Amino acid sequence: MHFSDYESDQSRLYNIHHVEDKNSSSSKAKVKKIWTVTGILAIVTIVEVILGLYGTSTGMPKWLINTFFIALTLFKAAYIVKVFMHLGDELKNMISSILIPLTLFFWFILAFLWDGSFWLWINNHFTIR
Amino acid sequence: MSSVAVDKKKLWGGGQSPFNLSYGKVMMWYFLMSDAFTFGAFLISYGTTRFFSALWPDPNLVFASFPWFAPNGGAPMAFVSLMTFILILSSVTMVLAVHAGHCRDKQGVIKWMIWTIIGGIAFLACQAWEWTHLYHHGAWWGSYRPGADMEPLKHYFNHHTDAALLAKEGADAAHKFFNFFFTITGFHGAHVASGVVLNIIILLNTINGTYEKRGHYEMVEKVGLYWHFVDLVWVFVFTCFYLL
Repeated sequence: MHFSDYESDQSRLYNIHHVEDKNSSSSKAKVKKIWTVTGILAIVTIVEVILGLYGTSTGMPKWLINTFFIALTLFKAAYIVKVFMHLGDELKNMISSILIPLTLFFWFILAFLWDGSFWLWINNHFTIR
Repeated sequence: MSSVAVDKKKLWGGGQSPFNLSYGKVMMWYFLMSDAFTFGAFLISYGTTRFFSALWPDPNLVFASFPWFAPNGGAPMAFVSLMTFILILSSVTMVLAVHAGHCRDKQGVIKWMIWTIIGGIAFLACQAWEWTHLYHHGAWWGSYRPGADMEPLKHYFNHHTDAALLAKEGADAAHKFFNFFFTITGFHGAHVASGVVLNIIILLNTINGTYEKRGHYEMVEKVGLYWHFVDLVWVFVFTCFYLL
């Protein structure tokens, strides 16, 4: 049986005679980068937890703490997508076709949170039956 | 990752993938993008409801228990931090499995896939404990209807909360909070569970030598993308439910 027939012809994309050597320096550098990113993700998570536990008792305004949370979350997400999911290694066209549709989220979040706070305002100021 | 050099002029000329990626991998990316919108819709509706509510439970008070050490509260954030680390580490072992696949290192793929599966099962076990714990304290889908007795659930709210507001809105806020919590973490948990099943299939195929015969370990990469996405979603769920 021809295994290359299984999911179309991959031979253009995978040179099956050229395989990365796991003992090569480039392979070891990649593994090292994976562990470096692991360390970064762990440290950021620890910072988030400390902020969550003690942030409000330091007198820091809630909006500032939340800004940190959102920034750190996006920072972690970027590392996961770029390094762990290897999106950073793909062609620019491919990266754009994934990231551009996701920018719709900016408007979704803004519009829906705006709507929620508007309804809270209405409820606090008027009696609706 | 491909090893073929790309000539930009010929990229869109036909006869090859313009993204220099296989069909399966491109489609996995687009599936994950659509799934991101589904999770996004859930989290945004959670946010809208929270902005709409005059009162909201304090996550440091809701999620404060830890099996054995603090079964009745007193350890805010500890258990969810552990769950987050387990899922991040299982994402790391998965990317190491993908790397072993690039090297066509069969034993490496097997080793790291086993660790990834263990991480996934450990995360699901933690989630099962957390759900069971909350359930035994009365929280579930549809619990705490408006007008419910506030006594068993007032400890979910910051003690500075105005008593009249708590009596008026508290039960409804807790009701909404737990409906969203169980729906969103449940949807995420279903993704983790199906990811574990896919990982087990990949492990069995690797042991059977399927990818060795095929000449490449791309299936490990594709399922790896899904697994990293599950970790990625948890990063956002963690922020929205436990931090903000």
